[in-house]
Amino acid sequence: MKRKLKEVVKVPLSVDERWDLIEKISKQTVEFGAYKHTLKDAIAELTVKPLTGIPVAIAVIYGFWSFFCDFAGTLFTDGFMVKIFDEHWLPWLQSFFLGGLGNPFYALMVDAGHIEDGVLVASDNCFEAFGVLTSGLFIVFGVVLWAVLAFYLIFAILEDIGYLPRLAVLVDTVLHKIGLHGYAIVPTFLSLGCNVPGVTATRPLETRKQRFMMMTLLAIFVPCGAQIGIMQELVPELMGWIFLTLAIGYLGFGFILNKIVLGKSPELIMDVPPYQMPTLRNIGRKLWIRTSRFLLVAVPFVLLGSIIVGLMYLTGAMDWLAAVFGPLLMVWFGVPSETVAPLIAGFLRKDLAVGVLGGLMAQGIMTTFQVFTSVVLLCIYFPCLATFALMLKEENWKEILGSFASLVAMVFVYGGLIHLIGIMLGVA
Amino acid sequence: MKILLMGHPNVGKSVFFNRLTGAKVFESNYPGTTVDFMKGWMRLEREDVELIDVPGAFSLEPKDRAEEVAVKMLEENRDSVVVCVLDASKVERGLYLALEIIERGYPVVVALNMWDVAEDKNIRIDVEKLERILGVPVVPTIAISGEGFKELVSKIKDAAPVKIEKIIESVGAVSAAASTGEAQAQGGGESAAVS
Repeated sequence: MKRKLKEVVKVPLSVDERWDLIEKISKQTVEFGAYKHTLKDAIAELTVKPLTGIPVAIAVIYGFWSFFCDFAGTLFTDGFMVKIFDEHWLPWLQSFFLGGLGNPFYALMVDAGHIEDGVLVASDNCFEAFGVLTSGLFIVFGVVLWAVLAFYLIFAILEDIGYLPRLAVLVDTVLHKIGLHGYAIVPTFLSLGCNVPGVTATRPLETRKQRFMMMTLLAIFVPCGAQIGIMQELVPELMGWIFLTLAIGYLGFGFILNKIVLGKSPELIMDVPPYQMPTLRNIGRKLWIRTSRFLLVAVPFVLLGSIIVGLMYLTGAMDWLAAVFGPLLMVWFGVPSETVAPLIAGFLRKDLAVGVLGGLMAQGIMTTFQVFTSVVLLCIYFPCLATFALMLKEENWKEILGSFASLVAMVFVYGGLIHLIGIMLGVA
Repeated sequence: MKILLMGHPNVGKSVFFNRLTGAKVFESNYPGTTVDFMKGWMRLEREDVELIDVPGAFSLEPKDRAEEVAVKMLEENRDSVVVCVLDASKVERGLYLALEIIERGYPVVVALNMWDVAEDKNIRIDVEKLERILGVPVVPTIAISGEGFKELVSKIKDAAPVKIEKIIESVGAVSAAASTGEAQAQGGGESAAVS
């Protein structure tokens, strides 16, 4: 009788044969008992059904944001770091560092000072001073570190509970309108911490079109945690408008890209994992790995970047660039020619760029609307060097060129549009 | 010899990897955390063996970048033992990948991970019978709390390539035996839940 079973088997099996075999195996070994509706299931359903899920999502994001501002901004940066840096570190350096005001090396390392009524005066805060040891260190350790820490703490908890895939299900319908899948929420959220892991997270997307679109949108419209932290410190009252502008850009240009980029956006089937209790061990470890990786990249880049910007000011290169690009910036985007400095810094790091902008703001040469436009421009005009390098690795040169072309087009169209709206509202 | 950790996205491969090597790989409760492979070393029988955390894949016919990497890893490491991690609450889906790997002639150990989730869902799996049918070691695990790991590691050396014909044959044999045995034992007591 057993002989009969020994038919000729072709290896590999066809898909159907394999499923057939699996069915036979599972019939023998797996027993499905009555399904109990647990509390976990009830919670899971509440967070996915639109009627209850959307309020929950809003609450989660609001909670995220409040914690981010309170913990990073108010508690650490304003509570401790600003006092330490402005009241102790800066005056201490100013009192003993070689050279003194007006000396080029002193200007580069500690305080460039600024002209007030024709006289060069010392700065009284670390945004304005613009030395490597003052602004450079303040940006990284005074502001951005805490923002990144706060972001990754909440993010790790949401990740380990398993909330993100549910958010993906909720926003799926909206994102499908722009040719993306709900899963896009994962790279987008990750990018809010740092664009680099965000770009890596585009890999599960199936087609080149989806990956291309996702990367382009991330690189342009999603500000990283470092940048958000410093924007929140500098212009907290504008944050709502900035995020709204970026979100409109993300959806609007996603819609356009979806129409003009060739290729398909197939459905991506994603598992929604069961909710789990996060473990302290895993949260702690993730927080440690991510924060240390951040510091490893941020510290050298911010310090190097502030040296480069400082040297460009000292050698007059910045003035030259401002003279060359000034007319374009003023006429098209409606921002002063000095904005060229933060834009240069932004090629290296966005947090540094916003910091440089902070220095300009302190000089009082910009209107609120110009500050707003500049901050948005800093977000969208170019991905930082680390993100750009990764994109080069991920895509071929054709896609990079495509990304770059859409980037340039978007910056000019969107930047110009913001200026235009400003003119019509009478604020620009 | 190398050991490859394979399985669907989000079945806990990275947790396995971290537990077995003490390395630092991200674990997250959503699919697609590992999109690149990760290498580490683990102790096996007083020897250091290389362990590779392969990105999650549903099958060996690649549909995305992560799956491409997975297939490439498998092909580049012909001399490895594959620890195939399955979600115990979705055994059938995971078995598809496991069978594909077995068909390609790799020695396989099957880890039935998330055993606790399966229990919550009232799913009972007869581990011994599954082991007999597949001809490869099958170990229930709960990766997050570390249950079943000792057994899993001890079974790696038992893994040997199995011919798919053999599995087809034993499924038939077991079902024949079961249909006669069921009359006597009424099929009860078969589902030995292990935890």
